[in-house]
Amino acid sequence: MTLAGTALVALFVVLFAALVLGALIVGGRTVRRAREAGRARLAGPARRLLLAIAAGDDDPRQIEELVRLPDEVWLAVEPSAVALLGKVRGEAHTTLVDVFERRGAAWRARSQLKRRDPVARAMAAEVLGNLRRRDAVLPLCDLLSDPDPDVRVVAARSLGRIGDAGATQPLLATLRSRRPVPAHVVATALTRLGTPAQGALTAALDDPRSPVRATAAEVLGLIGAAGATVRVESALRADPAVEVRVSAARTLGRLGTRTALAPLLDALGEDRPAVLRAEAARALGELGAVTAAPALTALLADADYAVAHNAARSLLRLGSAGRAALVAAEHRAHVRPRHSAEPDEGPGPEVLLGAAHAREALAAAELDDRRRQAVP
Amino acid sequence: MTAILVADDDMDIRDLVAFKLEQAGYDVVAVDNGLAALTSATENPPDLVVLDVMMPGMSGIDVCRQLRQEQGTKALPIILLTARAQEGDVEVGFGAGADDYIVKPFSPRELVSRVEAVLARMRT
Repeated sequence: MTLAGTALVALFVVLFAALVLGALIVGGRTVRRAREAGRARLAGPARRLLLAIAAGDDDPRQIEELVRLPDEVWLAVEPSAVALLGKVRGEAHTTLVDVFERRGAAWRARSQLKRRDPVARAMAAEVLGNLRRRDAVLPLCDLLSDPDPDVRVVAARSLGRIGDAGATQPLLATLRSRRPVPAHVVATALTRLGTPAQGALTAALDDPRSPVRATAAEVLGLIGAAGATVRVESALRADPAVEVRVSAARTLGRLGTRTALAPLLDALGEDRPAVLRAEAARALGELGAVTAAPALTALLADADYAVAHNAARSLLRLGSAGRAALVAAEHRAHVRPRHSAEPDEGPGPEVLLGAAHAREALAAAELDDRRRQAVP
Repeated sequence: MTAILVADDDMDIRDLVAFKLEQAGYDVVAVDNGLAALTSATENPPDLVVLDVMMPGMSGIDVCRQLRQEQGTKALPIILLTARAQEGDVEVGFGAGADDYIVKPFSPRELVSRVEAVLARMRT
């Protein structure tokens, strides 16, 4: 065969492959659309019924109708039902849970947790979490080490929704696992467990892994664990990891305990990492201790932007004493040093820097005030 | 009839809120993004707006700020609906000019009560 003939054959083969591929894509889309349309047709009337129940209607006939829907119709409407189950509370949630339970959804979900399809496992975990099934805590804890990262995330969220403090340790353990769950997902789930998790979280401040200690410190603040203040204060003072000390500072600000003043002021020291000093400066504002005003004022001229910025914003949060300190710092930029030898010598760079941060905070406060006044 | 604009990119929530408000006797217009909400509210100002905070493109907070700057919509009662329950987010919402803030998961009955309360406050 000549070279031109070979090229022609190759061209035909490529064209044929492209046509087959195109046909497969178009065919696949058509089938998917047809399935979706079929599901939507099936789900239509049932969806209206579902919305009525989710909206809080407790008409027994409607509930019964939803419970007795044929399986194929229920399967078509189930994704919406699962989504709504997680987004409503009160009587609407209770009624939806009742419908799910009577349809055997919890039993079915339990049986799906070991399916090969990760979407099926995630969906089952979601249903069990939304149904707040305490008897599903153990299998959901097992799913925290699932090979699929999305399944692990759904399992963590579901454990949070169920709210059983027994999940505290397994959730914390995922942070040091080979198959981890993102720290913010774990923190949110632990926060939903509330104060019953306080003991395990406080103990986790002694964990050898810093991500575990940092998350524990963070969540103790989010659940308002004032009883853990002393332990968090010692983490702020002595933990070897900066991320843990930063979380501890943030938590002490959230907890708002007066004893936190001394360790937070200590964390402002120039020899401390800037990220810690910035967080301590912010926490002092949340604490609202007027006695912190001089230390925060001194930070206005700090070389690190975040430290000076947070100090200025915290002064605003201290009320009139803080505002007065900002006004004074801003005023110093316009005052010539009293003992200046040079008649034209202005304020030094530190004074100007401090004044600039003070001006920025005061301007932001004024804008906020004006915006609030403008809102009718 | 009192008109309410509902904006949420989550179809299930949007349909649920619309369903509940229609059931309560309101005339509801539902859209699925922030820009459409802004356009609809500017062209046909409703009596109240329910905005989801997390929407693709333009967030509910951005829509709220824009509505507060327009002459024709700056007095519109606005309720924010969001899954974000942190105190800071609530502050941002109120800072943007929202009149009320409902956190998901929410009670549909409470939603109607809040709508009624905000509308009553605006009338007095």
